[in-house]
Amino acid sequence: MAEDMSERRALLDLLRAAVRDGRAPEPAIRGALAGVDDPVLMRKAGTVLAGLPPDTTGLPTMRIAVLATFTVGPFEQLLRAAMVGAGALPAIATAGYRALDLTLATGGFGDPFGDGGDPDLVACLLDESYFLPGDWNAVDAAGLAASIEQRFGDLRGLVVSSLRRSAATMVLHTVPLPAEVLDTHLSLRARAAVARAWHELNAALLGLAAQHRQVVVVDLAGALADGPYSARDHRLHRYADMPYTDGALLVLANEIRRVAQARAGLSRKVLALDLDNTLWGGVLGEAGAHGVQLGGLYPGNCYQQLQRTVARLREQGVILVLTSKNDASLVAKALAQHPEALLRPDAFSVTAVNWSAKAENLRAAAASLGLPTQAFVFMDDSAFERGHVGEELPEVAVVAADGDPAYLVRSLLRHGWFDVLELTETDLRRPALYRSRALREDFSTGFGSSQDYLRALRVEVVAERVTGFGVARVAQLAARTNQFNLTGRRYDEAATAAMSTDPDHLVASFSVSDRFGDEGVVGALWVDRGGQVWRVLNAVLSCRVLGRGVELAMVAWLAGKAMAANATALRGEYVRSAKNGVAGGFWEGAGFTATGSAGVFELDLNGTPYLAPKWIRLLERSGVPT
Amino acid sequence: MSDAASVEATILDILSETLDESVGDLRSHRVLAAYEWDSITSLLSLAQLESQFGVTLDLRSYHAARTVDDLVSLIVNHTSQGVPR
Repeated sequence: MAEDMSERRALLDLLRAAVRDGRAPEPAIRGALAGVDDPVLMRKAGTVLAGLPPDTTGLPTMRIAVLATFTVGPFEQLLRAAMVGAGALPAIATAGYRALDLTLATGGFGDPFGDGGDPDLVACLLDESYFLPGDWNAVDAAGLAASIEQRFGDLRGLVVSSLRRSAATMVLHTVPLPAEVLDTHLSLRARAAVARAWHELNAALLGLAAQHRQVVVVDLAGALADGPYSARDHRLHRYADMPYTDGALLVLANEIRRVAQARAGLSRKVLALDLDNTLWGGVLGEAGAHGVQLGGLYPGNCYQQLQRTVARLREQGVILVLTSKNDASLVAKALAQHPEALLRPDAFSVTAVNWSAKAENLRAAAASLGLPTQAFVFMDDSAFERGHVGEELPEVAVVAADGDPAYLVRSLLRHGWFDVLELTETDLRRPALYRSRALREDFSTGFGSSQDYLRALRVEVVAERVTGFGVARVAQLAARTNQFNLTGRRYDEAATAAMSTDPDHLVASFSVSDRFGDEGVVGALWVDRGGQVWRVLNAVLSCRVLGRGVELAMVAWLAGKAMAANATALRGEYVRSAKNGVAGGFWEGAGFTATGSAGVFELDLNGTPYLAPKWIRLLERSGVPT
Repeated sequence: MSDAASVEATILDILSETLDESVGDLRSHRVLAAYEWDSITSLLSLAQLESQFGVTLDLRSYHAARTVDDLVSLIVNHTSQGVPR
């Protein structure tokens, strides 16, 4: 979200640059725009985007006529920004002040675009003034209810007759009732009667959608109750007949944008989901299937609710893809057997559980499904993974699953990526049509396509000789790391402490940070340096940071130390366990060669420096002689 | 930078955008009526000032402001009183 001032400026500058060149803002910029929920920023963005030529390549156009019963203020700018965020360019024609009745009555919606053509969408913006009489008797609640009903009848007549002459889709919305209308009624019984009449009005408005195929009604009153903005600004209401705040207008613009998006066929069809800390809490490879948070009390209930919601999306035709950096057999077992899991392995049309870059997995999943990546939404808790997918596949819509898991369901649904006007038979059959298939291979491209991204990440690895204070953290890492754990020898605090002070041993920790933040201590080495050949007793690395070359930087640091001490070679071991398959090819991948004995590898230190990957800045925390 | 000076810099930034005038011009000619300070641009500026400073202004005092300095003292007084939104 572009909350920070400099990010806001940067977003506006990127939009200005696109407008200056007369081209569509890139998908990544549109994605950032879609995530903005600050009305001031959206209003500015909409003003800037008004400069885009109507035939901008890459943005399907949509003609929207706006009719209102009040001063619409910044609505046009907000709607334009929201629409461009969703990948469409609107031509918006706003009728004159309070011209709703007249425009509907005279037909053709007043030829808003001056070419006699129909708009695609007619947005009818309503406020309470349309339905309330100019004056009413506070002791006659029934009379007020009758007036409200009569005004609704007038509106329905106008809507139905105007649509007879047009192919446009008309969008109406429910209307919030100001508290002052209710509070003017002193009798609680009368107040309840008026509130009921108002709810019946909103129910009747929603009923128009059931009666007329061309009408869509969105629930503004409900959305405002669930949103962060107050609905009204009394000052601007009295001063300028602007009943709604800019925030409320943004909520309405987004509701109408969702209709437009669905009508233009921009709905997404595939949801690709991460597993650890997205579909359940915790890391399967570290905590085990019994240890992940799923179901029960907070926070496990948040993850289960997300699974339930995803299952409901699937019932409505959304195809599910599982993309997780994990051990495939562990995942299959946990999904099949966890008693609280609601998404079982067969819920996913594609299962890509492997250690490849997720962008590669999404590309392969798209190819395997025969659907374009434009149809994908990707949800992941890791800023690293989201950033990489955003860079490699900017057309994929990205949903953040980090932060408090209580927001997971809201984050997935709030943009309306999967909205359609109507579910078809094909939608309902779709998940069954795409048989489950697995992508288990690690793609040969490896990190090749990602180096630009990794370089832009500014990964920094800080090596440090472990002394008193670091011992506990490193021992804890050894105890918890199962996947990238090369020998499974878990040196506890006492053993680690002893090694850290023994001249023939070396214990080192490795911290990683990048532009997304500081991961802290994520890796460690235990080394016997008593002879000419230094022996790595164990190496562990948290799987959170796999795929960034950190393990190679660890070897580079150690090789440097060994060469400085005139050692001739480094020796490493790999002892296979049920969970450490990911580390199987590590030593050879790092340039070591297999020796005669199984699982033992060596690197000759022949005077050529061993370099860390060039996208990593390898530093050493000073103060301790090594 | 004093409070008033930093408030003024922010106000000038906002006005420069809403009135489409340079900060330099607004700094040297400080009477708002010299620019297109009409109901639309003044409400547009109001939305941005309120959002930027986290305040809710009394519209009467806001419309009474004639110069950049009036706006600065309006915001400074409002924020120093700690009036909640």
